[in-house]
Parts: sequence; structure tokens; C-alpha cells
Amino acid sequence: MPTAYGQGASAAAKPVFGAQGPLPAHKVYTAAEIEDGGSLFQQHCAFCHGRDAGGGESGPDLTRSKLVTGDKNGNDIGAVIRTGRMEKGMPKFALADAEVVHLIAFIHSQQDKAMSQTGDRKGVDVSDLQTGNVEAGKKYFNGAGTCSKCHSPTGDLAGVASRYEGLKLEQQMLAPRDTKARVSVTVHNGSAVTGKLAFQDEFTIALIDDDGRYRSWSKDKVTYKVDAPAEAHVELFDKYTDDDIHNLMAYIQTLR
Amino acid sequence: MYLFRRAILGAAIAATLSCSALWSQEVSSDMLLHPRTDSWPLYHGDYSGKRHSSLTQITPQNVRNLTLAWAFQTNQPALIKSAPVLANGILYFSVPDHIWAVDARTGRQVWQHTEAPKKALHIGSRGVALYKENLYYLTPDAHLECLDARNGNVKWEVQVADASKGQWASMSPLIVGNHVMVGASGDFDNLQGFVRSIDADTGVTQWQWDATSPVGTPHKTTGGNAWITGTYDPQLNLVYWGTGNPTPVLNGKVRPGDNLYTCSIVALNPETGKLVWAFQPSPHDTHDWDAVEIPVLVDGNFHGKPYKMLMQASRNGYFFVLDRTNGKSLLTTNYGPVNWTSGIDKDGRPIPNPAKEPAPDGRLIAPDEGGMTNYRSPSFDPATGLFIVSAAPSYSLYFAKPADGTYGWAGADYGLWSKGVLEAIDYQTGKIRWSHELGEGAAGSGVLTTASGLLFTGNSSGTFLALDSKSGKTLWHAYSGSSINGGPETYEIDGKQYVLMTSGGVVFSWRLPETATAHPATARAAR
Repeated sequence: MPTAYGQGASAAAKPVFGAQGPLPAHKVYTAAEIEDGGSLFQQHCAFCHGRDAGGGESGPDLTRSKLVTGDKNGNDIGAVIRTGRMEKGMPKFALADAEVVHLIAFIHSQQDKAMSQTGDRKGVDVSDLQTGNVEAGKKYFNGAGTCSKCHSPTGDLAGVASRYEGLKLEQQMLAPRDTKARVSVTVHNGSAVTGKLAFQDEFTIALIDDDGRYRSWSKDKVTYKVDAPAEAHVELFDKYTDDDIHNLMAYIQTLR
Repeated sequence: MYLFRRAILGAAIAATLSCSALWSQEVSSDMLLHPRTDSWPLYHGDYSGKRHSSLTQITPQNVRNLTLAWAFQTNQPALIKSAPVLANGILYFSVPDHIWAVDARTGRQVWQHTEAPKKALHIGSRGVALYKENLYYLTPDAHLECLDARNGNVKWEVQVADASKGQWASMSPLIVGNHVMVGASGDFDNLQGFVRSIDADTGVTQWQWDATSPVGTPHKTTGGNAWITGTYDPQLNLVYWGTGNPTPVLNGKVRPGDNLYTCSIVALNPETGKLVWAFQPSPHDTHDWDAVEIPVLVDGNFHGKPYKMLMQASRNGYFFVLDRTNGKSLLTTNYGPVNWTSGIDKDGRPIPNPAKEPAPDGRLIAPDEGGMTNYRSPSFDPATGLFIVSAAPSYSLYFAKPADGTYGWAGADYGLWSKGVLEAIDYQTGKIRWSHELGEGAAGSGVLTTASGLLFTGNSSGTFLALDSKSGKTLWHAYSGSSINGGPETYEIDGKQYVLMTSGGVVFSWRLPETATAHPATARAAR
């Protein structure tokens, strides 16, 4: 699953600089807390997030996580550990309060370590994603890529490169996460209900209507039409070359 | 060894059993070779890995009446990824640090064995193995324990891999004769993968087959962990294992060549551990695509000629049919979108495209790192000739640069999109005869088929499904309330067929209602 937590260092931080940028401000933890957290991390987290929290099988690099960077007292990281992010494949963990604190201590210490590292840093940097050609990307956007059918550089995409950068921007470009599908359901008396698609499988369709109410129907009792604009991105996956992606990325990065 | 015992009942039952010499509960080699329908004594149900049952009480006509017989709550946050094994009316299954024995008629606990958390990855336990009156269980820190099946008491334990160096374990061991065959997991370190055979009585190592060269051999790969239970052909006397990916994982530059025997299907002699043949689904892998998926053994015709076949739907997106006497390819085809090859070689192996190796500015790769399928078991239905697999068409970005180094993961990859689709593959042509959409993301359930023409599985949002195996049409469903991470199984006790399914930390057992079997129409259908 792609990262939900964003990339890059925090702009608002105390004036301490590692070799990779300002070190995030957070609660100070003892060596014993960090060590115990490290042991717990190896048992519960390392498979997905990597042994050093720098990313592993399917889980994001926590040393580049904005949520970690911005979490001064551990509440945000703690909430993710306790409740999970099931929709992104992260289970919840039933750990004692002290264990959660120790995990947070370890994660912060790993981020500090990564930020203090000299030389090239492992993982995906913004500078790694600059191999494309702006003009070729613009041509692809307006031509073969069919991007301009739905998007406009002066409309919905104006300033997109200021809202996202680096890997996060590229992920949004290829598989946008915040575009919600809408659905229109027609019930048997002919009246229609529209709203944000909340759930569907082969049996059920559910939406949140424009007043915020959840409603669901058996699919065999209604007719419905789903409008999922992000699906157009899925259809592009087997059409892109890697150069197309890099060129498109170069162009999108100009939309500040 | 730290043990906490919660089981009281187990001790009482054990005491009763020891007085009853006439009632032996030993699981013999013969019972493993010829599993009865009231048992599921092996990880795959039998040695072939087909996950196909001869039971026919539950049919396409009556499956809509399926009702809950019982549910067993582990009351643990760990997801059940275990394939429960069943003998003598008792089910045995595990999550990391816990093993249960549960009455298959009632769902009541017989005993629970709990250990202090091991200091190693707890990604899952795929179950225990049964032999004689023993259970064999791999701990997260890669020790093999032999437990008394009557009460869960540990008789002995031996180290399989050194967890302090980075390997761990999740596998259900494979028992053949008195051999307990095991492997380890782990690719965060450059370590050697292996299959080891351990004496079922004494715990002494009988042989070890190494997948790769010793650590530190220049320009040679490490890795090739065997982490899913293999299959066995008693006539050919060969065990079949899939091996995992090479290390470093995403950086292939320091390990030129095919990297044998990583991402391979190997045939070993179970008495000696000697390699008889090998076939490599992913030469020089740089995408973490283990070839450990179940090597399913099927006897039948291929293009009009009888063959002893081995079929694998591999993580790399390709479906392989091999002659399992010699490892020669009969068919290679993709069963979803793949974009990492430049063709298929004369031996049926995909040719990796160097331009699709992970790179500093990223490469778009299909499938993603989780692969077109993963540890979830497929099923082969002899009646339709269909190999049915829970697939995950997917796309991802793969990165690797010098700063990522040459140890362990050595790069980064990010999934972009995936969905679950059940694919029914005609093994003679490789064509997909029907598909059944399972929802966004990959579905975690394995597949079971039965001789009555039914297929059981689960979708990606946690709903159990029964389908018509011929058409893929839905006949029954029930929402489980959590994610499904194991495969369905079936058995018959006291004349009733049960279908076992797991979700979250719960085991569900389904059967037909008492009244439904008496109903004339349903009774006719059941015959």
C-alpha cells in the first residue's frame, strides 16, 4: 500500500539541523525506552516498515513520515498503532500503554538518526525524481496521456506541486487517493439518491448522502450508477512507459 | 523456555486417554498418505496440495441453507493465518505464541498452549503438523517444538535458524515418514535459505538442503527461504518445495546471473535431501517474488497424453505447468497483467527485462511486491480441470539507488493499486475460463473445491463465499466481520459435512441445518 503519511521534513521545527534538514521537535525519551521500543518494533512492525523503520514489505518509510515528524507528544503515532489503518492494510495492535510509548520512542529515534545521516540518504528523495523532461511531459499531458480530458493546469491542478512533493506527488499523480467516487441509486419507486460511495461489493451498495446520512441497499433491489473518476488512472497503468511517468512528473512539478 | 498454561481441561483429558489403551489417537503415516473424510491431517488436507474434497453432502442446490454450527473465538488480536489440522475429532491451529486444540463437533476448547512472546517477527503462524500423538510447531524465533497432542505439553525443541541473525519462522512443517521438514523466513538480511529434515522422534537433524551458497561467497546470491509447506508424491518419492527471493532483495547488481536456487521449485528426495530437479519461475528476481506458492500435484492428461504434473500460480504473475518427474515445462502463461519480462525462454522460464529492475527514479511494475498471488492456497478441481487462484492484479513503483546499499531490502517499493479477482485457469491452455471479482485490494482467503461442484473462498472485504465451480456464480455468502487470512477446509463427522473458515481471530464452522437434510427436495439434492 502506498504511504498515507507523506514525505519530506517538517518546516516547523526547533532550530536543530541534522545533515538532512531540521530535526523534528518531540518529547525526549530515555535510552531504555528506545531500546525496549526497538525490541517491540522487531516483533510487530519490522516486516512491513523495515527493521530500521525505513520501509519494508508493503509499509511506508516511517523516517520520512510527516505524521511522525509532526507528532510532538506521541498522540498521533499512538493513535495509528492502537486503531490501525485497516483500509491501508495496517492492523491495530493491542499493546500496553508503556509499550506504545516505547514504540513511539524508537520510531522518533530512527527518524532523528535518518535526518542526521551524512551523505546520500536511503529511500526516495525529491532529487531522485528529476529525470524527466518538462516539455515532453506537457505534450503527454495534453496528448497520449489524455490527462487534459479531466484535468487542467490552471484549474484543479493549479498549485498541486505546492500541496505535494516528491514521491507523494508522484503517487497522487498515478493513483490519486483523495478522489472520492460518487454514486446515484435509483430505488423502485423511481426516486434517486446520490452521495459519496461508502461501500460496495457484489451484494450491497452504500453511500453517504449529501446530508451526511449513511444508506445502503441490496444491489438486486435497485439500479445504480457509480462515477469513479480515479478509475481512469487505473486504465492508464498498462499504457505508460517509465519515461512517460518521469516526463509527466517533471511537468506536474511545474504546477506550483 | 517460558510456558504459561491456561489449559486445565487438557490435563484431565490426557489422564483419561492414558487409561484407554484401546483408543489410540496416533496419526500414522498411512493416515497422512490416505486422509479420511473425517480428517484434515495436513496443511493442504492431503499431500497433493489440490485442496479438493470428495465430500458431497453440501451441494450447489442446498448450499444456500448453510448455517453456523459453531464459532471459536481466540480472543487474540493476531489474525488466524493458520490452516487448522484435524484428526480424531480435534482441530489444532496456531497464531504466533499460541496453539489451540478444539473439538471439531462443538467448537469447545480442549486446551490452549501459550508461550511468552518470542523476540522475532510475529507476522503469522501457518499452523502445526500432526504425526503419531505429536504436534510440530515452528515458533516465531524459528525453533521447532514437539508438543504432546493430548495436552500441549512441550516434549522437546530444537533451533531451526538463529533468529538473532534475522531469520524467523511462520511455516507449518511437512511430515513425510519420520521426517519433519521445515524452513525459515526473512529477507532483511543476506542469509542462506534451506529445507531441513528433522527426526520426528528425537529432534535430530537428518539432512539439510541449502538453496544458496554460504553467506559471504563472492558474487553469489543469498536467500531462497522456503516458507510455505511443500507437497509430496509418494510414488515418485519426491517432495516439492518453492523457494523465496534472493538477497539483497531489490538490488540485483551484486548477484549477477540466475541466482539459483532462489525463486525456484525444487524436487528433493525426502530420505536424503538430494536435489533431483529444479525449475526457476523468476530468474534473477529483483521484485521480492518468492516462488513458494503451493506446488499443486495433479495426475491427468495434458494435450491428450497422461502426465504427472505440478502446477503453480506464482507470485510473479505466471502460471506454470511442469512434468513433475523431471521439472520440464509444459505450459507457461500469465494470469493477470505483467510488465517485467521480455519473453519466455525455451525452457518455459520468464526472461526478466533489465529495464524493469528497480532504479533511482522508479520503475512501474506489475504485479506489485505482494504479487499476483501470495501464501493463500489455490485449489485444483479435477471435474472441471480448473486451477482456481485468488489473484491480485496490481501496479507499483520500485526504487533502488546506491545509498540503499547491498544488504537486506536495498531499495524501496510502493504499491499504487490492486484488486482481488478469483481466476479459474484451464490448465491445458492457460486461458481464464471465468473470473470472479473480489473487491479492492488483495483478498486474503485461500480456495477449496468439493466434488459436488462447490467452491469456497472469501472476498477482500471479509465476506465468505460459496460459488459454483463451473461458472464462478455466487451461491451463498456471509460477512465475517473481519479480514479473511486463511483457507476454507471441509470434513465430515457423525454424517454431517462441516466447512471451516477463519476470519480475524475467529474460526467459523458451517453445516446444513438439521431440518434441511430432512427436507425431501434437499435430501434428493444431497444424494
